[in-house]
Amino acid sequence: MGHGDKGRPSKKHKSSSKDVQKSVMMEDDEAAYYVEGFDDDHRDDDRGEGKKRDFSNLELKPDHVNRPLWACADGRIFLETFSPLYKQAYDFLIAIAEPVCRPESMHEYNLTPHSLYAAVSVGLETETIISVLNKLSKTKLPIEMIEFIRASTANYGKVKLVLKKNRYFVESPFPEVLKKMLRDEVIAKARLTNECLGEDGFSISKGLHELESGHNGLLDEAELAAAEEKESHSFEIDPAKVENVKERCLPANLNYPMLEEYDFRNDTVNPDLDMELKPHAQPRPYQEKSLSKMFGNGRARSGIIVLPCGAGKSLVGVSAAARIKKSCLCLATNAVSVDQWAFQFKLWSTIRDEQICRFTSDSKERFRGNAGVVVTTYNMVAFGGKRSEESEKIIEEIRNREWGLLLMDEVHVVPAHMFRKVISITKSHCKLGLTATLVREDERITDLNFLIGPKLYEANWLDLVKGGFIANVQCAEVWCPMTKEFFAEYLKKENSKKKQALYVMNPNKFRACEFLIRFHEQQRGDKIIVFADNLFALTEYAMKLRKPMIYGATSHAERTQILEAFKTKRDVNTIFLSKVGDNSIDIPEANVIIQISSHAGSRRQEAQRLGRILRAKGKHQDRMAGGKEEYNAFFYSLVSTDTQEMYYSTKRQQFLIDQGYSFKVITSLPPPDSGADLSFHRLDEQLQLLNKVLVAGDDAVGLEQLDEDADDIALHKARRFSGSMSAMSGANGMVYMEYNAGRGKFGHGHAKSKPKDPTKRHQLFKKRFG
Amino acid sequence: MPQVRIIAKNFMDMVASMPAMKLDRLYENTFICEAILRSLPPLAKKYVLQMLYIDQPVAAKLMEEWVLQDGLSKHKVALDRLVHLRVFQETVDRKRETSYRLNPKFQANLQQHVTLGGILPREPMSFSISVKLPSLDELQAYALQQWECFLLQLISSGQSDKPTNISPSMMKLFQRGLLTQRDREAPKLTESGFRFLLMDTNAQLWYIIRDYINNAEERGLDPADLISFLLELSFHVPGEAYDMNTLDDIQLATIKDLADLGLVKLQQGRKESWFIPTKLATNLSISLTDTSSRKEGFVVVETNFRMYAYSTSKLHCEMLRLFSRIEYQLPNLIVAAITKESLYNAFENGISSDQIVAFLQQNAHPRVADRVPSVPENVTDQIRLWESDMNRVEMTHSVLYDEFPSRELFESACDFAREWNGLLYEDSKAMRLVVKIEIHDQMKEYVRRQR
Repeated sequence: MGHGDKGRPSKKHKSSSKDVQKSVMMEDDEAAYYVEGFDDDHRDDDRGEGKKRDFSNLELKPDHVNRPLWACADGRIFLETFSPLYKQAYDFLIAIAEPVCRPESMHEYNLTPHSLYAAVSVGLETETIISVLNKLSKTKLPIEMIEFIRASTANYGKVKLVLKKNRYFVESPFPEVLKKMLRDEVIAKARLTNECLGEDGFSISKGLHELESGHNGLLDEAELAAAEEKESHSFEIDPAKVENVKERCLPANLNYPMLEEYDFRNDTVNPDLDMELKPHAQPRPYQEKSLSKMFGNGRARSGIIVLPCGAGKSLVGVSAAARIKKSCLCLATNAVSVDQWAFQFKLWSTIRDEQICRFTSDSKERFRGNAGVVVTTYNMVAFGGKRSEESEKIIEEIRNREWGLLLMDEVHVVPAHMFRKVISITKSHCKLGLTATLVREDERITDLNFLIGPKLYEANWLDLVKGGFIANVQCAEVWCPMTKEFFAEYLKKENSKKKQALYVMNPNKFRACEFLIRFHEQQRGDKIIVFADNLFALTEYAMKLRKPMIYGATSHAERTQILEAFKTKRDVNTIFLSKVGDNSIDIPEANVIIQISSHAGSRRQEAQRLGRILRAKGKHQDRMAGGKEEYNAFFYSLVSTDTQEMYYSTKRQQFLIDQGYSFKVITSLPPPDSGADLSFHRLDEQLQLLNKVLVAGDDAVGLEQLDEDADDIALHKARRFSGSMSAMSGANGMVYMEYNAGRGKFGHGHAKSKPKDPTKRHQLFKKRFG
Repeated sequence: MPQVRIIAKNFMDMVASMPAMKLDRLYENTFICEAILRSLPPLAKKYVLQMLYIDQPVAAKLMEEWVLQDGLSKHKVALDRLVHLRVFQETVDRKRETSYRLNPKFQANLQQHVTLGGILPREPMSFSISVKLPSLDELQAYALQQWECFLLQLISSGQSDKPTNISPSMMKLFQRGLLTQRDREAPKLTESGFRFLLMDTNAQLWYIIRDYINNAEERGLDPADLISFLLELSFHVPGEAYDMNTLDDIQLATIKDLADLGLVKLQQGRKESWFIPTKLATNLSISLTDTSSRKEGFVVVETNFRMYAYSTSKLHCEMLRLFSRIEYQLPNLIVAAITKESLYNAFENGISSDQIVAFLQQNAHPRVADRVPSVPENVTDQIRLWESDMNRVEMTHSVLYDEFPSRELFESACDFAREWNGLLYEDSKAMRLVVKIEIHDQMKEYVRRQR
């Protein structure tokens, strides 16, 4: 083993706080995967492969065949899925490590400071982690790994912030840690000292039993050890200074990140909300497991639960709310999904209609009684400008209320500063984030861990597919060769801004798309969603094929209407969506996705879009041609060969491939012997199309960046022109309703948004309505 | 004359291809006769035994009556083989009737063998209790390790831990055809080299031994001597010790090479030294076609292009490295990724996608071998697509003509090239054209004449 082995982990030990941050910050375009960022610097300077990563002299245990995993000194763990101990090992690994890839036979995980933080916060102890890992490992554990675990967990999970009877306590089983914290000026000032003091000057109470039931068999022994009763010491802090104390505890400062737990059963101050899960709401095993992580010790932990789309995230959210039984604030990304969340609450729980209300630009309801559920969007809460009197009142109420649960949907799309704002406005005892994909191409996921909490649970996609909980999707990448004429234009320098338009409008791609739509509509009776990020292409395709479409400027009413028609009408089987359809619009009927253009190399978008068709469709057997089929959902990604798209496409698929999905490459669509009846069969038609693309303004067909903005600007435009005074002033907030939540400069973005181009807007509208 | 040309696929084929003179000399050795008999097809074996005590030629017509009509083709094959090996001697009499008889030397040796029973080429040594010989398992492990070590050295000269006895010049000899070396670059495996690595051990061994014998003359050895020694060796009992002093000088020189290949293990006592043949040696005379013992697979390929190889072998690691990126080496697992770059590397070295796919499929771990397909479809598809991607650009040797003095000349030159079917590209604005190299001479001539 080279000295590199020792060099790396020790580097981490020196200042784990720095590394914690770095490993998150690493998450840029180059880092293949957020959890891998940690590992990437290592990989890069490791061109002489096989030297540092040669762990072949680890000692194999004599009964290694029966043990399921290998652990490497650099934190990488390999797990055999066919081992009899797989289930236990998986549950354990998912708690302590980040999954890197989880295909069928062999999983890979990475131990990172983050993942260990999460492990500690769900109640696992350092020595438990090491001993269980050692039991599962085929080899003796590398010393480097043991040291790394010790060093990373030294500080984590030692301190808890508990809201008890509306008083904030800093709690820890280690008095010396509390002493150390009190040496910090900010914390010392925040301390309230009017209580009877224990020996160390802290009040002492008996800790609660851990109620974990997730692990069994091999892990029992360790589990028991962890659950032993422990004394815990605590001191009270000033509620007004909680934020400051929390900040001092972040890794950048004292490095004792506080776990937040809510002892909701003993909360007598906040009124109870009378809601139960309905009997038909039967959480599935993995939903149960994720909830058990959250409510492991009888209190509610803050954190993030990662479940694939369609796996029933909303039931987890509603169940959590029903268990806490306090007022709940539910945040979604847009108005459509607000409606859907409200619907989910009513569907799964016994909540009465007057106890739940929606707060969007279109509907400003208020619940009656002293406890209830409010569903709204991030933007409505975080909006900084002037509001209408009515919304101001509601916002005031949200501000003043003490929320039992802050339920946050799609946390991956919301940037950190937006969270800070939302979290500072709303006072909540427990925060639960839900998401399908904890990856982003930029570093905006930074701090999610500390703002919300650690990742509590992450499901394995393939296991859910095998269990029949989500659809088994056949993924395919369709290679569409560029036609000669389009490729010639694509290569020209002066068309650099039109590149995207050229490869999206490639007639071969159009024909492949048309072929697929026909095939699935006519042969299988499927419901199809076509995604296009490029607005120019979206309109062209939709108009040519005479299908309805939804994009940024489509009004809420029209959206609902189109979606309703798609759900119910026999003759509306295909809709075209711009990126507004990526998230949270629930379209359970759809089972085919055709993607004709996309946001560069975004892995998240690919996963989110796939998520639109993941909901298992058992009841729709009659719609399927052959009844039980191996695949009941289809995901096609159309790419023009020899263009940038090929490169992006590979990048985009990475996340799904890591989850065990495979993309089949289809090289000839439509089949060579057919296709004469499809559009753009003749050369002159193709040339006409080419001409259309070339004469269109650069910004109309231009780069991704522009058309994204176009989405938003068009939205402004539509609203402004609707002419109401309040809209002009932005007072009722509707302007921002659909404002893409992922945009960075939200706060002041609208004020100095890009100069608008009237000709472009005009064109869009002419196309849309003309 | 034989109707089928036999390619030396195994030892016996090699023997069969020896010139008549040498063959007759080989048959002086009892063991060779026995080995030949063993290697014959069943019907031929029967004929040999049938004729063993007949001292006169038997007419071909008579022999034909020995078989039923539908066995005639087998009969022919058997006769061909026997004639080719000069076990049967063919005579044609005046009436143009063909008849056969056994090769007298062969016959005599075999008769002796039948009457006196088999004798071993040499007696194993008897030891005092103090000497401990390796067990058969240990010997087998030793042989395979030695062989692997040799292969490692073969494919990546200089990387092996243990330098072997085999002279560099001989190593070069073995590498011929398996490796190509452009000056200064590290030698690379050729297509046949890759195929070589994919063969099972016996086949590989045979490949090397064949080279070894073929080049015997360069080392001043008679191939016949070598063959007879190797065959003799195959009749020794594996695991027994034989005295080195019973070997002549040529054999002594040879046996050291064989030790490097793992055919024998050499040991030295206080006074005497001895060699112990391994299974590899005794397998030599067995016809390779009937080695049915397939090795268990060890490779798992996942849909995300990651490859997990359950192996401790360095050689496997080197083999995987030929077309993938090795990422982790664990005590009993090799983790690798199949990437576009790694495959392009492999393709450049002449390894084809089919070979890689076949390798992955043949060596699929039992855990996934029953799965259909054993290697994920998207991976095999992608490997093939990447290969076909490489072949999209076709190279044509050609010549560029430019700076034409006049447009007329340019255009007539274009016409001329077109007539000869050799025009590849013309740019009339810049007056440039590219023609196939085949018509370069005619073109030159034409342009000169036009001036």
